[in-house]
Amino acid sequence: MKQLTILRRANQAGNIMIKQIIETGTSRRQFLKASVTAGGGFSLGVLLPGCATFADKSISENGDWRANAWLEITADSNIIFTLDRVEMGQGTSTGLTTLLAEELDVPPKDIRVKFAPVDSAYRNPDYGLQMTGGSNSISSSWGQIRNAGASAREMLLLAASQVFKGPLSQCQARDGKVTNLVSGKTLMYGELAAIAALQTVPSNPKLKSPSEFRYIGKQNKRLDIEGKVFGTTEYGIDTEVPGMVYAVVSRSPVIGGKVKQFDARDALQIKGVIDVFEMHSGVAVVAERYWQARKAQLLVNIEWDEGDLAELSSEKMFSVFKQKAEDDEGDSVRNEGDFDHAQEESSRTLEVEYFTPFLAHATMEPMNCVVHVNASEAEVWAPTQAPDLARIAVARVTDLSPSDVKVHGTAIGGGFGRRITQDFVEETAEISYHTNRIIKLIWSREEDTQNDWYRPATYHKFKATFNDTGSVTGWHHHIVAPNLFDWFIRDAAPAQYPWSPKFTYGILGSVGLAMQGIAVPDDVTATEGAVSVPYKIANLEVRHTHADVGVPISFWRSVGHSQNAFYVESFVDELAHETGTDPFEFRRNLLSDHPQHKKILELVAEKADWGGSLPKGVFRGIAVHKSFKTYAAQVVELSIENGQINVLRVVCAVDCGTVVNPDIVKAQIEGGIIFALTAALYGEISVKDGRIQQSNFHDYQLLRINETPKIEVHILASNEAPSGIGEPGVPPLAPAVANAVFAATGKRLRSLPLKL
Amino acid sequence: MDITVNGDTRVVEFEPDTPLLWVIRDELNLKGTKFGCGKGLCGACTVHLNGVAIRSCVTPVSAVSGQNITTIEGIGTIEEPHPLQKSWVNLNVPQCGYCQSGQLMSASALLAQNTRPSDDDIDQAMSGNICRCGTYPRIRAAIHEAANNTEKS
Repeated sequence: MKQLTILRRANQAGNIMIKQIIETGTSRRQFLKASVTAGGGFSLGVLLPGCATFADKSISENGDWRANAWLEITADSNIIFTLDRVEMGQGTSTGLTTLLAEELDVPPKDIRVKFAPVDSAYRNPDYGLQMTGGSNSISSSWGQIRNAGASAREMLLLAASQVFKGPLSQCQARDGKVTNLVSGKTLMYGELAAIAALQTVPSNPKLKSPSEFRYIGKQNKRLDIEGKVFGTTEYGIDTEVPGMVYAVVSRSPVIGGKVKQFDARDALQIKGVIDVFEMHSGVAVVAERYWQARKAQLLVNIEWDEGDLAELSSEKMFSVFKQKAEDDEGDSVRNEGDFDHAQEESSRTLEVEYFTPFLAHATMEPMNCVVHVNASEAEVWAPTQAPDLARIAVARVTDLSPSDVKVHGTAIGGGFGRRITQDFVEETAEISYHTNRIIKLIWSREEDTQNDWYRPATYHKFKATFNDTGSVTGWHHHIVAPNLFDWFIRDAAPAQYPWSPKFTYGILGSVGLAMQGIAVPDDVTATEGAVSVPYKIANLEVRHTHADVGVPISFWRSVGHSQNAFYVESFVDELAHETGTDPFEFRRNLLSDHPQHKKILELVAEKADWGGSLPKGVFRGIAVHKSFKTYAAQVVELSIENGQINVLRVVCAVDCGTVVNPDIVKAQIEGGIIFALTAALYGEISVKDGRIQQSNFHDYQLLRINETPKIEVHILASNEAPSGIGEPGVPPLAPAVANAVFAATGKRLRSLPLKL
Repeated sequence: MDITVNGDTRVVEFEPDTPLLWVIRDELNLKGTKFGCGKGLCGACTVHLNGVAIRSCVTPVSAVSGQNITTIEGIGTIEEPHPLQKSWVNLNVPQCGYCQSGQLMSASALLAQNTRPSDDDIDQAMSGNICRCGTYPRIRAAIHEAANNTEKS
């Protein structure tokens, strides 16, 4: 009971903190702190809000807070921006730096970006999660970073007016210098840094108006590109630590299986092999060199206790889901009008079922990690999206506390949500702890494919009702799907309560989070994008039945939206067909309550010349979806050749608010479309006898250059605050393709991947 | 055995069946060449063997002794970039960047043989290289741009 009380109090305190942020949000001074650095420079600490999914607990009850981003201007005019977000290709570092550069008035390329390590120096018992995901880095930090830049600029200007002994109005900041417009004298920011640091942080710095922007909306160069073109960027897998040795792990071929016994005699004979031993996830092989470990691994004879899932198959799973839909009507997550009544009054109904399979993330850089555990602390070098969770993973398998663990971020060879789960860190830590060596663990592609935490497989049922005149009167959507947070909380809960004793880690999730306090909001991952169906239908109900067969699941680029858009936008297309209406007109007519959806749908229709003539054998499909506060609509053109779907062109219109970097926005949409097209045409992880059936790129195919359609991106001009861009390009693609296949063939494909 | 990478010859002691990839990465410490699949399916490990693009993850080190190997570190530098590296920067090709060394090695082998590749030529030469971030439209444009620039100069 004592544990419960502590957690409840933490939650209540958290609630208060959140209120404080909202109430004092306009008093920006509270979230900036200036100081003089040892070298005579200027340092401005900034508080950026936490991940949108989680409560921000960066402010303690007495109002103290710790910065999680720092602007430093050294005496020799180096400008260094340290922040706690990770760069995995999505362009976050360029975008955030551009915001700072704009208000500080320096070219973005002149700012050096550093990623903050997570270690005890940054420790704060009230910390929220340090995690990058949810397409929110720009949208959540947009105001704070601009304020920081503007505040620093005003402090530099005040310093200059003191040095010049002239009025502030005569001072102009530009390109890293302040000029006295009367005398023509200039001073570099670095020369002003020490004096600037002594100024009061302005409570309400003046931000530039959009017409004054020099970089926002104009900056096109990525700042992280050279290392990626000359091969010098250091990813996790490139980490070298003197004395490091290599490890590989044999894991159960059946999901959830355990080692019964193993024989390592032959493996130990291989040159370079240091140790072979049983660990939590299987049998580890440690050797001087990677290839030695791989060769020895083949010689380890392991007998497995296959566990509870040895009989599981994809077919059985879907029959379990279907049965569940019959037996359990689940929770109502949206209910308008009276669907039952609409059904009684209807002259006709349409009832269909849809499903989607598990999907792997398949990042190009396989899971890997380097860990050095010693008696009192551990160091981790990991390509991770969530350094905080990495500390928990290490603490779980050693006798260390999370605060004893220092995590070094590295460049990341693709994330897409995979690196929110820290299983690879946990394994490496356990091997380092067991062997007292510095360990580099590298997963093979096969291991990466078969031990992922997958996008969930789900099963959906729709029912629509029509009246005498053929109009749609009712929409009933029944979702059968697991909850991602059931899996995620294992690491996330202890990370949010880092002071809690380790023996409580196992129950923290169920105790702390089940109370639905501030720690984690409702798990909407199963229903997001389905509950928000924008179409005006008088009687509308969405229900969710929880079903989980025990296959590990996690966040996958655009999460619930990635499949719910397929379901909703395919079924609405069915209704257009049923009512004999053009799919674009049908949607537009039902979007009167959602003008932004309507606007972006109209824009894509115009740009793709919807309704215009097409070459013989080419057909169109359309879809629109809002995710991460961004509106995206797509028109797909395709042909069917020898029974194969051949996507020729994708036109995308997107409204993501103010655009910080137009070329990165375009790149994220292009990449999102290609990522989604892989899933639509090929993506399937299937299970048989409890085993994942796919292993490498021959049977888990990714789209290649010769299969890539022409892609056009049209960005709606906007002065609204920026919204997400890393993920919103994904959801509309699969339904737009399926709808075009229907236009081409008259065949409605209700499962992914799309197969004729 | 002797191994010649980017013009430097080195004596290395490795089990002869070790894939060239791990010798390049772990012994020569040239980390630009990446591990992706271990089966020659994704192209992240692409290097040149006597000017021809090969997959170093399935090439035993014993097979390349005495021959010329070129890695990403050998085709250009920031001071003297390969024309493809210039166009890659100019068109903001990389996202996560992990596959790009391999993409550049396949593309540079293509341009060395075919100064004016068509879209079909690019499909042929580049379809062995996977990019999960989906940078293909830019890779195609950057190869054309580099070919155009090389022709002009």
